[in-house]
Amino acid sequence: MSVYITSTGRFLPGPAISVDQVENVLGAVHGKPSSLRVQIQKANKIQTRHYAIDERQQTTHSNTEMAAKAAEECLDRAFVGREKVGMLAVASTQGDLPAPGMASMVQAELDLPEIEILTTHGICSSSIMALKAAWNSMRLEEHEAALVLSSELASRLLKKQRYEAATTSTFAAKRIDFSTEFLRWMLSDGAGALLLQNKPAPKGLSLRIDWIRGFSHAHALPTCMSVGSAGRPEDTRTWQDYDTYAEAEQDGALLLRQDVRLLDNLMRMGVDGYLRLVEEGVSQPNDVDHFLCHYSSHHFRNKILEMLNKAGVGIPEEKWWTNLYTRGNTGCASLFIMLDEFLRTDEITVNEGDRVLCFVPESGRFNTTYLHFTVVSQ
Amino acid sequence: MNDGEIAIEGGSNGPIEESVPEGIVLNEHAQVCLQQLLRVWLGFERDLSKVPLLRRIDLGTYTAEDHQVFLRNIRQQVIEGSRWITRTASSFDRNHGEIRSTIISHAVDEHRDYEMLEKDYVASGGVLEDILAMEKNIGSEALHGFLMHQSSQPNPIDLLGAMWIIEGLGEKMATSWSDRIQELTGLGEDSTSFMAYHGHNDSEHMERFYATLDSVCVNETAIKRIVKTAKVVARLYRLQLEEMEHDLN
Repeated sequence: MSVYITSTGRFLPGPAISVDQVENVLGAVHGKPSSLRVQIQKANKIQTRHYAIDERQQTTHSNTEMAAKAAEECLDRAFVGREKVGMLAVASTQGDLPAPGMASMVQAELDLPEIEILTTHGICSSSIMALKAAWNSMRLEEHEAALVLSSELASRLLKKQRYEAATTSTFAAKRIDFSTEFLRWMLSDGAGALLLQNKPAPKGLSLRIDWIRGFSHAHALPTCMSVGSAGRPEDTRTWQDYDTYAEAEQDGALLLRQDVRLLDNLMRMGVDGYLRLVEEGVSQPNDVDHFLCHYSSHHFRNKILEMLNKAGVGIPEEKWWTNLYTRGNTGCASLFIMLDEFLRTDEITVNEGDRVLCFVPESGRFNTTYLHFTVVSQ
Repeated sequence: MNDGEIAIEGGSNGPIEESVPEGIVLNEHAQVCLQQLLRVWLGFERDLSKVPLLRRIDLGTYTAEDHQVFLRNIRQQVIEGSRWITRTASSFDRNHGEIRSTIISHAVDEHRDYEMLEKDYVASGGVLEDILAMEKNIGSEALHGFLMHQSSQPNPIDLLGAMWIIEGLGEKMATSWSDRIQELTGLGEDSTSFMAYHGHNDSEHMERFYATLDSVCVNETAIKRIVKTAKVVARLYRLQLEEMEHDLN
């Protein structure tokens, strides 16, 4: 059975924050401006982004609220009543509560009665896991409609107080600790929503899901992006192994970390996965009309572009489209926020029959996911 | 030190970052072969992270002693390398004169590289006699045995697959490992000169590689042979690297 994305929605909290205002919102650690911010922002080229915290680092919207607001927008635009929604799948790197799963909290916020729920946990690719599971449920004809949400509230991990509290961490010990600061200037907040149905929307464009594939390389490669350890190779403790959570925080075990040295692996594995799909005959670069690639930084766009070209499976740059530069890198919510705008933007023309390839890599422990849609109308 | 610049400015390592030189347009079979070779390389490169000694480079716990183990174990392969390369050259018949010339000049470039490696070993704190007395490890035996066998076959074009893996690793040593090892161990440039030099030289070798691939990879059978040999060499090379760990005991 074919399954279609018939409606989308998004929620971006607060005003668009420009490059220069970012440190006002996240806060200068110990009152001192970061020496890495400008360099990292220059490389990622993100011009504006949104935060669900204010300039006093107080939370303005919970992660649950953001997911629900994106869902409401998506349902408001849908040609189907919300009572038809049989499944709610929610993805986030970190919900408001460690337990229960975020889908429970969002279901309550949306007041959707007696539905099947799924919470996926991961980083950028967790939304793809949620989408794939919901798609499969639909293919089994268990539901007429399913709602898939992805939401991120990264700024709570990135605010100055987190770094100031990490008094015995690698961040405190080094003059510059790239691994803990890199993502501070990359990630921001937002939520996206997709509605899946067993038929296209009666008006406008829908996306038929053709295939979703993923290849994870955690069996071979070390952890690259994580929260929960102090970032010292000889120290195997994770945050709950400390006597108190306060000690874990002091030791930097609650800081978001990225081992930037390992990042090249992500692009290599990304290209490897695409070559695999080409080899299997699943995808042909010449058949792609639009390429929506989630990348965290403009710098990586060029690298991916170059590597695909060199492998002989390049997709011409005019077929690439993203809103990273204006909406920010919202982790697992990025692709949904991108799809929402892709179907509405005047920047490009999207026609019935167009084939859309999406690529969402996750650096956490190297999971690469690929999606293919065809634009349809009823 | 600013470790982030590595990611932001980007390094280049391995054959995937090495473009096909301008002026060389690969034929259709060579292009397919190259894509398959890329996948073999990417799998090989990823799985290097599973080799205990090399994982320590990733994790930042590699020591000067590890470096000595590495050099001590890699020397035999470097010595034997020029042997299978020259054997390969002699196995090509008169219809493959151009390839034979390319391979001979390649062998001339590399056949005394092991002397550089011995100097690195001493600079890393090792005793010259120890590295000179070192035998091939189990993996090196298997790798060398396979390469000598293949290179003795008539017109062994499949050894392009072997070059792809070995040259690719040379490039990776130079761009990803040599500086990082110095940083982690406190050893100087004189301890990683083999890695650094080898990589620089290998980028010229890659240009010759693409030209040769285009001339010999002209049908399905050639693709299969080249890719299979690349897979065998990747597996045996990893075995050689895994076996290094046993030298520690």
